[in-house]
Amino acid sequence: MSGPAGRRYSEELFADFFRAPLDSGYARAAQRRATAGPPPRWQVFGGRGGRAVALAAIGFLFAVAYHHAVAAEPGTSKARRDLVADVRSRQQQTDDLRRRADALRDQVAKARDEALVDSGEAARLRELAAGAGLGKVTGDGVVVRLADAPPQIDPVTGKQSADNPGIVLDRDLQDIANGLWLAGAEAVAVNGQRLAGTSTIRSAGGVILVDFRPVTGPYEVAAIGPPNITDAFNASATAKRFRRYVETYRMQFGAKARENLTLSAAPDPSLHYARPPSPSASPSSPSSPSSPSSPSSQSSPNPSRSGGR
Amino acid sequence: MIAVIALIAGVALGVVLEPTVPIGLQPYLPIAVVAALDAVFGGIRARLDGIFDDKQFVISFVSNVLVAGLIVYLGDQLGVGGQLSTGVVVVLGVRIFGNVAAIRRHLFRA
Repeated sequence: MSGPAGRRYSEELFADFFRAPLDSGYARAAQRRATAGPPPRWQVFGGRGGRAVALAAIGFLFAVAYHHAVAAEPGTSKARRDLVADVRSRQQQTDDLRRRADALRDQVAKARDEALVDSGEAARLRELAAGAGLGKVTGDGVVVRLADAPPQIDPVTGKQSADNPGIVLDRDLQDIANGLWLAGAEAVAVNGQRLAGTSTIRSAGGVILVDFRPVTGPYEVAAIGPPNITDAFNASATAKRFRRYVETYRMQFGAKARENLTLSAAPDPSLHYARPPSPSASPSSPSSPSSPSSPSSQSSPNPSRSGGR
Repeated sequence: MIAVIALIAGVALGVVLEPTVPIGLQPYLPIAVVAALDAVFGGIRARLDGIFDDKQFVISFVSNVLVAGLIVYLGDQLGVGGQLSTGVVVVLGVRIFGNVAAIRRHLFRA
């Protein structure tokens, strides 16, 4: 091949490639056949056999690749299903344990009442426990019902719009709970989850967590309080704000008085600083409770010094 | 006729045997499929053009799969990762597209 012709070929390689995608070998073979005449018989049969083998190999390859692609998919979905089942069973376990804890707590309270029956301390303790959210309480109060706005549907496409401003957020539940406290509530529970002093209402991944347990809509915030709590809450700024949300975002909101509410106890708070006295140490020894609290007592002057100036 | 039967037999064999692909060969599988598709569409087009040749078909299939596999292997060894495989897919995709367009012209005269 001459120099200029070779260069032309390399320059037009891509153009050639797009124009003539067929292997040029086919054309050359046809040419050869035309000049040399029909091939001998054994070559025809051999060619047919080779073609059949090649096509069988191709079919086998397709089947294997398909099987591989399909088999790879259920592995992930299966793992996900197992995880979901795992989460469900653990939730069940938590519920069972919580029920048991409630029953045991009732027993403890009963035993304590019996032990303190002579003094007036039992009633005071019960009162304090109810106020701190650690005891079951019953009474009249108010139930605030809150639900997401229905998803907005685009009138043209008929599809649901992706962002819905009327969705209940963790902030909303926090505001309602705070509004109820402000209205004089003595005990508040969100979807049956009693709020104590250290309870949290947060969201994680689009789910609202009350004390790290997920709650789903419609949300019911129940509160036990003085007889006028419903009116007090309805007149509050929080309730007014949510009624405005109802008008603008079609969020569902309502507060109704209800009698004979029963709010279960909140889970026992984990102790951060206090420690149950060890049975071996004598209860009067002051050194054992002070040693864990010493870092906090040392550190507490620091902020007060900087704050007081 | 033989071709279709052989293809179906191959698929049936693959379905029945359900072979597991060794881990080392897994990256080559998609590339091999694309290379085989190229050979098949090239063969169909040649058939419609009236210039089909058994030897050419078998050799193009085998060499396509081998060269594609080699390029993927080379890319792995050179550390350019999937980029060379992307190149193979693009080139073979262009060829498949051109051949399918020619087949379409044969079948529908458009």
